Amino acid sequence: MNASTVTEPGPRAKKKSLASYIVVPSLFVVAYFGARGGIENVEPRSGAALALALLPVPFLALLIWGYVRAVRRMDELGRRIQLEGLAFAFPIALLIVFTAGLLDLAGYHGEQNWDLPRLWPLMLLPYWGGIALAHRRYS
Amino acid sequence: MSSIDDTVAMKNRLRVLRAERDWSQAELAERLGVSRQTVNAIETEKYDPSLPLAFAVARLFELRIEDVFQPESASTRAKP
Repeated sequence: MNASTVTEPGPRAKKKSLASYIVVPSLFVVAYFGARGGIENVEPRSGAALALALLPVPFLALLIWGYVRAVRRMDELGRRIQLEGLAFAFPIALLIVFTAGLLDLAGYHGEQNWDLPRLWPLMLLPYWGGIALAHRRYS
Repeated sequence: MSSIDDTVAMKNRLRVLRAERDWSQAELAERLGVSRQTVNAIETEKYDPSLPLAFAVARLFELRIEDVFQPESASTRAKP
């Protein structure tokens, strides 16, 4: 019977933790903004545009994998908080995309179009909100 | 319509048992292999532990599980 997943981190785990929480996110931010800046300066649909567009993807995949591993290391309450946070965030994120899509159809594009690269940071907000609410519930 | 939360809210003696042994929440959490937040949430009855964790708690205090965890009120139990 394994009632927990919390263990004292060793040096190897600390190294992994450093990579998960600092190195990979930093690389993702650099790759993302580098790609966004670079894409505007190359010909659309060219090989360079494709390479730049896909540049941040591996780093985001690593970030997601780090998140999954972190959740697996949590104890049962930690996992429940994550579940409740996601259960709150996912429908809200859908609502944001749905609303933006309808506004787009209605011609309200804002200063720049409601494209996904501009919308996805908004999807993190309901996740953080959901996690904060769940933490509050169990504190 | 009643929910599980309405019918089988649990109470527990974790805080008392921990105090009898002079353990901090952090110490108990370490012994159980969970976070201090989890111990606190169980003690304040904001969170009911899973069956494996409840058994682990009972085993740690060398008690039966029903000596640690009990339904809040027998009268509010779900009827079959």
